[in-house]
Amino acid sequence: MTAYIVKRLIAMLVTLWLIITLTFFLMHSVPGSPFNEERATNETVQKNLEKYYHLDEPLIVQYGLYLKSVVTLDFGPSIKKSSQTVNEMLGRGFPVSFELGIVTLIVAVISGITLGIIAALRHNGILDYTAMTIAVLGISIPNFVMATLLIQQVAVNWGILPVATWVSPKHMILPTLALATGPMAIIARLTRSSMLEVLTQDYIRTAKAKGLSPVKIIFKHALRNALLPVVTVLGSLAASILTGTFVIEKIFAIPGMGKYFVESINQRDYPVIMGTTVFYSAILIMMLFLVDIAYGILDPRIKLHKKEGS
Amino acid sequence: MKKYVSLLLTCLLIFVLAACTAKQETGNEPKPTDKEEGTKEEAVTEKILYLNNGMEPTSFDPPIGFDAVSWSGLNNLMEGLTRLSQNHEPEAATAEKWDVSEDGKTYTFHIRENAKWSNGDSVTAGDFVFAWKRLLNPETGSPAAFLGYFIEGAEAFNTGAGSADDVKVKAVDEKTFEVTLISPQAYFLSVITNPAFFPINEKVAAENPQWFAEAETFVGNGPFNLAEWEHDSHFLMEKNDQYWDAGTVKLDKVHWAIVDDTNTEYQMYQTGNLDVSDIPADLSEQLFSEGKVQVGDQAGDYFYRFNLTLEPFQNVNIRKAFAMAVDQQQIVDFVTKNKEKPAYGFVAYGFNDPAGNDFRETAGDLVKTDIEEAKALLAKGMEEEGYEKLPEVTLTYSTSDTHKKIAEALQQMFKDNLGVEVKLANMEWNVFAEEQTALKFQLSRSSFLADYADPINFLENFQTGHSMNRTGWSNAEYDQLIKDAKNEADETRRYEMMYKAEKILFEEMPIIPIHFYNQVYLQNEAVTGIVRHPVGYLELKWADKN
Repeated sequence: MTAYIVKRLIAMLVTLWLIITLTFFLMHSVPGSPFNEERATNETVQKNLEKYYHLDEPLIVQYGLYLKSVVTLDFGPSIKKSSQTVNEMLGRGFPVSFELGIVTLIVAVISGITLGIIAALRHNGILDYTAMTIAVLGISIPNFVMATLLIQQVAVNWGILPVATWVSPKHMILPTLALATGPMAIIARLTRSSMLEVLTQDYIRTAKAKGLSPVKIIFKHALRNALLPVVTVLGSLAASILTGTFVIEKIFAIPGMGKYFVESINQRDYPVIMGTTVFYSAILIMMLFLVDIAYGILDPRIKLHKKEGS
Repeated sequence: MKKYVSLLLTCLLIFVLAACTAKQETGNEPKPTDKEEGTKEEAVTEKILYLNNGMEPTSFDPPIGFDAVSWSGLNNLMEGLTRLSQNHEPEAATAEKWDVSEDGKTYTFHIRENAKWSNGDSVTAGDFVFAWKRLLNPETGSPAAFLGYFIEGAEAFNTGAGSADDVKVKAVDEKTFEVTLISPQAYFLSVITNPAFFPINEKVAAENPQWFAEAETFVGNGPFNLAEWEHDSHFLMEKNDQYWDAGTVKLDKVHWAIVDDTNTEYQMYQTGNLDVSDIPADLSEQLFSEGKVQVGDQAGDYFYRFNLTLEPFQNVNIRKAFAMAVDQQQIVDFVTKNKEKPAYGFVAYGFNDPAGNDFRETAGDLVKTDIEEAKALLAKGMEEEGYEKLPEVTLTYSTSDTHKKIAEALQQMFKDNLGVEVKLANMEWNVFAEEQTALKFQLSRSSFLADYADPINFLENFQTGHSMNRTGWSNAEYDQLIKDAKNEADETRRYEMMYKAEKILFEEMPIIPIHFYNQVYLQNEAVTGIVRHPVGYLELKWADKN
């Protein structure tokens, strides 16, 4: 197991390095510059700015400087918001996105699995259809439409919850709902189909025959196996939800890090593009690693350390 | 079995609810700006204005925060030698009075005895010398540095050819600041209202070079203090008791939300969480018809640039034909529907010549919508160039709904009025900006917002090789007129030169003006006295909320 983990860690570092390198050169190959403005600044000022941010150096030198900053975990100052460093921006935005993301994930996972189990147990019954109708709606309605609907109805028309901003727990409810519907629906559908499959298996019949209680059968035997596909999607889902979503954060004026992904690219704010990409990749790689570990725990048939030999 | 399942589901439900509330309680720290609780108790004693800044300010470092999202904050947190009055004219601010030398080049400012920094320090001439040299220092990398080029020695210093010592700004004594210009500039007093020219507390900056990055360390000299700044979330201003004119300031606090989405902003306005809101594009017509929208001028143009280096726009008659085929009135009435003034010249409304007449009204309409003449000019131009058929024309704009609508309207007008099929293309803004500067488009969208309140700021853009020219147009007489106007001390003669220059611009027609910008907004009726200057900044010094 330890050897496996070490091997995975090395592979993760190599992956990260590849991502950094690719992103760096792709980013610089896109036309445009962080200093493009509708009101053009004159050439000398522009040159001064380029010098200040080392943008006048050959690309390979910039790449070297950049690798150095990644190794020291200091992504430097943002070009567009020069009084802030990328580290500060991530350090400020990520906890907010994470807070919203983790609540969203809890809501989505619990309600999704619940809906999925209900649907599977009441296969082709009213409850199944109801649950799956909710799921289909959840998948088909984009979260920004959901967000706008929720704000207009709950906040403006009924006036029971605040419209936007990130001040008190009350402010979390609408964005969580808007953000959770999609993942909830995906999880519900996955749970349902894999539960249906698992429930027809022999070992479930054996368990029933042994006279085990239904709760034990569903949770200990059926759900555990049924969760494997859910865990698979959960890895990448968690990485993207935890690092913030541009649209939801924009609509609800949430000071998370979602907007940096999009804004930095539009503005060609190179240090921020790199910072967000590296950060997101690291989290994603980490999540995928956790998913693999979780496989082993959920399904004893998957033995991680065996991979060494093969 | 059924019993168990329902029991289990109930448990799950309880767990979901518990998980939510538990998590939410942990985040329940008392925040000083929690509006729901705050307003009820404090409404009686405190006047708090709720505004939206749209985006996180770029920087509150005066020479760096050179954009509207920084100015709204900066202009109310700090103050230069002069400040724009309620009539948008520069008036005495940190400087109590000033003397101008006979040649109009040397200004001696007398700083108020009671001009103080928010930490109690006195505002000195040295603070201005420090700040202005810092603005011009190439190492500061200020995008606003060019505004200071009218100071002697400034351009050389900023371009690396000269030194800081040669910049002609000096502290005669603690409260006397002297600056020498390269030429008499009538608009000098107005330029220095720009935040780029705000003083910086040298002592504070020496101790903490990043003093402007957080509210705790921010030291200003304006009507308000920066009390709180939670980045990307909100910032809070409080009345500054150290301000020399604190008696005029009526608001106790100004809370700036940072909400980037106009629909959300409008919904927050509807629920009373904001006092002022922009107008969501989809609701604009409805809100205008309900008479709720307020409109103010903004000194800037929405226009199109011809590229004189690409066919067929090397020909002046073809350019004129395209310009005359455009119906500006129709565009503002039926396309933008935002009550903008149609533009038939380049200099915006709101600048008075020495006789007290508005520049735009005096200069009149320099381009007009005239379909017959447009057709005749097109035919003439094509003949001059020997075209059987007009080379294909592509009109390019940066990707945006508004730009698209206007581009499509233009396409239709060129088709109906000239019989010319124009192709449309759009691209991401940053690439667009780069290609436009490189003169790669035939006809492309542009906009201009004035940096300081003088017609020359509009006209200087089209000098040969100016970074805002981007048309390939060049005219020696025009260049000379702009240069002379910048050196002219006599206002009447200066305005004559500028009138003449604008006329030349439109005789040659390197651009098609579409409309002047305006500021449209919804505002809580209880709020009064917010001044929106056509050039630049939002002013809260005189604002009040009942």
